[in-house]
Amino acid sequence: MTIDMSQFYEVFFDEADELLAEAERLLLGIDMESPDDEELNAIFRAAHSIKGGAATFGFMDMTEITHVLENLLDKIRKHEMALTAEHVDAFLAAKNVLAMELNGHRNAAEVDQEQVADVKMVLKSLSDASGVVIATHPVAAPAPVAAPVPTAPAPVEFSATAEVAQHEIPDGSSCFNIVMPEITERDVENLQEELGLLGLVVVSKQANGRYVLSLTTDSSQADIVSICSFIVDADDLVITLAPTATAVSPAVEVGVATAAPELAKTESKATSGSGVAIHEEVGYGLFEEEGKEKVEEGYGFFAPFQPHPDAVAATLIGDDTVPTIANSGEPTATVTAEASLGAPGGVERRSPGRRESDKATSNAETSSIRVGVEKVDQLINLVGELVITQAMIEQRISNLDPVHHEALINSVGQLTRNTRDLQESVMSIRMMPMDFVFSRFPRMVRDLAAKLNKKVEFVTVGAATELDKGLIERIVDPLTHLVRNSVDHGIEIPANRRAAGKSEAGTLTLSAAHKGGSIVIEVTDDGAGLNRNKLLEKAAKNGLAVSENMSDSEVFALIFAPGFSTAEVVTDVSGRGVGMDVVKRNIASMGGVVEIRSALGFGTTISISLPLTLAILDGMSVSLGKSIYVIPLNLIVETLQPRAEDIKTVTGEGRMVHVRGEYLPIIALHSLFNHATDITDPTKGVLVLIESDGKKSALFVDRLVGQQQVVIKSLETNFKKVPGISGATIMGDGGVALILDVSAIIQMGQNTNYLTGAPPFSNQNNQPLQNQRNA
Amino acid sequence: MSTDTATSNALKAKSAEGEYLTFVLGAEEYGLEILKVQEIRGYDAVTQIANTPEFIKGVVNLRGKIVPIVDLRIKFNLGKVEYNELTVVIILNLHGRVVGVVVDGVSDVIALKDEQIRDVPSLVTSIDTKYIVGLATLEQRMLILVDIEQLMSSQEMALMDAVAA
Repeated sequence: MTIDMSQFYEVFFDEADELLAEAERLLLGIDMESPDDEELNAIFRAAHSIKGGAATFGFMDMTEITHVLENLLDKIRKHEMALTAEHVDAFLAAKNVLAMELNGHRNAAEVDQEQVADVKMVLKSLSDASGVVIATHPVAAPAPVAAPVPTAPAPVEFSATAEVAQHEIPDGSSCFNIVMPEITERDVENLQEELGLLGLVVVSKQANGRYVLSLTTDSSQADIVSICSFIVDADDLVITLAPTATAVSPAVEVGVATAAPELAKTESKATSGSGVAIHEEVGYGLFEEEGKEKVEEGYGFFAPFQPHPDAVAATLIGDDTVPTIANSGEPTATVTAEASLGAPGGVERRSPGRRESDKATSNAETSSIRVGVEKVDQLINLVGELVITQAMIEQRISNLDPVHHEALINSVGQLTRNTRDLQESVMSIRMMPMDFVFSRFPRMVRDLAAKLNKKVEFVTVGAATELDKGLIERIVDPLTHLVRNSVDHGIEIPANRRAAGKSEAGTLTLSAAHKGGSIVIEVTDDGAGLNRNKLLEKAAKNGLAVSENMSDSEVFALIFAPGFSTAEVVTDVSGRGVGMDVVKRNIASMGGVVEIRSALGFGTTISISLPLTLAILDGMSVSLGKSIYVIPLNLIVETLQPRAEDIKTVTGEGRMVHVRGEYLPIIALHSLFNHATDITDPTKGVLVLIESDGKKSALFVDRLVGQQQVVIKSLETNFKKVPGISGATIMGDGGVALILDVSAIIQMGQNTNYLTGAPPFSNQNNQPLQNQRNA
Repeated sequence: MSTDTATSNALKAKSAEGEYLTFVLGAEEYGLEILKVQEIRGYDAVTQIANTPEFIKGVVNLRGKIVPIVDLRIKFNLGKVEYNELTVVIILNLHGRVVGVVVDGVSDVIALKDEQIRDVPSLVTSIDTKYIVGLATLEQRMLILVDIEQLMSSQEMALMDAVAA
């Protein structure tokens, strides 16, 4: 395979992925009572685009499924069928299968063929049911015609209709017309015998010497094909499906009649288009005029997709409708189709539809372009450089005499503004709406709730809130855990909810909002809430150090401990106690903080606050000796210059500061980093109160320099990870400042003896610290 | 480390022939493969990094990249360690990782043939002799050819986490 081809594959995979996600989102949002036409069309377009792409790249399995899906959708969007929950379920199942097949092609993952067949069958049967709907409710919009419309009577002898119609057709079964290739009479007898095992077989002979077997059975088409393939080549078979229903016998007759295109002749009104004519007849002849009008319109503007179940079934055999029709029609029908008005409807019937979706795609293309993430990252890096260079120029000219250099200073001011705008626009390229993440959840919640027999109403708030793409991708897993937990542990089963005086359906809210320089994502449920006592009990049992005096937030934070689960029963959904610790770790690695608020009986809120972007950080620069360090602003609680009486010691060591009733340990950065400085007395310097993982400490530095946004640079690209340092940044003067890793510093501080100033990292190994934290 | 020696042996077995950038550390003259050199620049203010060995001077901003600076004079215990406008930093690009090396001075780029390069006798030095490709004689001077890539990625340089690229 050429490289080029695989590149295109990637594009298709990406696009199909997006389309599937979009279709799923729309399906979940659809209003069953009165589905929005625009939404139905959008779902249809998605299915159609996937089908087109899959066919182009030869992924026939995907083409097949999308095709059936598309047919059914088409009927619904044309109001030939009412949308039911059953349909939505089937569509969702089809989406899953498509995703599975897509994954199969992409990553050579396994595809469950059985599931594929199941879904295909469900879709088909739903699609077939439509025939009945049309027949019994002729008042509904007349079926846009797809079948070839012969102007002249088709010279085909066909006698099966009446015969078949006379037979009782059992409930739930379908009637297939099987047009045989040229085979001997003996083979036909054999086939008749074999197929007889499946159901009722009626054999008829066409004028051209071909046999047509009409089989009424509850078996699937695949079964028929597999039986026939013993005797004839399955590829030569043309199986058409006639809709059946016992309730409406005229419909049955019509259904069977329409099954074979050749049947056009059996209708005397062949001049006006067989399909419609037939239906109108069923419709008690009342709507004939209107029907015709619609038909003509249909040829003019609208894309008459195959509305007929027979056509649906037929297309399953071939990849495209046109050849199949030609096949089934055998010389006669083909001639009529081509020679008549039917041609635009029958032969070209697919092209209008394609045009329609092309238009949609081209619209989408003009509004967005696909660019590699590396390119965007490179752009962001370059702009970062520009910002630094600009800051350097600004600093240099600040020493110039404004009178003599007015023009230069003005220009630099202009440059500053432009640079800032440029930086903002470039950063916004990486921003994506949270909807990208949220849209995955309705489906999951729905499935989970069904599995757990719970009723859950899923609400999202602030889906338009934007977040850096890098973070968006990494937030998915933790959020998935949290949502699963909320549905599984948080929301109670309906009976318990009723007993507690709450509505049966629990509400799960996923919200996102900007708050200062960070984004706050919250998962809220109105379930049982966290039980403080139960948590403490469990923690004690697990050997965690706990006490009754712990604050609520400390107790709730226990659920983040590895192996901690309050679920009494381990389910396949959750309860194994892995997960929450992973959630916490993942979020911490993104520079975020998790917080739990809960009230017993009223619900739980898990709040994640994340920096808006990984590339830029709001920081407070502090000085220490001659160096500048940057502390992430979101982790600073306050800064203060302590009075001598606020500094306390314990056993003459471990200094603490008394702030608003709290005793916080003082971490002297200079002793932690073995850094030379003149200021060793906390009352001469500044204490920066930092908070991470719910722990507070006072970081002792020389002085505050200022607050600024800094571009985060990795130290690890060319160097290695340094304990206590999370990265570096370039300051306005071109120098490098290190960014402090606050949570690591708090950990380090706990192991430092302030007075002796023993560096905690003489062995440069912070493993024991982490163990201690986890213990 | 075993793989390191293996590759360095393979290198020796192959050939040490090539062009070398020669630089001075105290009274000794060293050479390193010119292809590893990205650029040569003056010594700028570095940002110290806490709790690192003395020879790691810190990091500098090299056009937006954070680059660590190693003072080979301290590491090799050679020459007077002072920083002025004549102090030179050789910026090396080792498999995409950029590292700066402080030396007393850069002298020349010379082409060496295999026959000019001698093996290193076993010695006690401040660095392992496995990082020395060979010795070359230029007129009266001896040139110590360093396998700078192995040296910089070695554990004793503490420049990189665990196994280097």
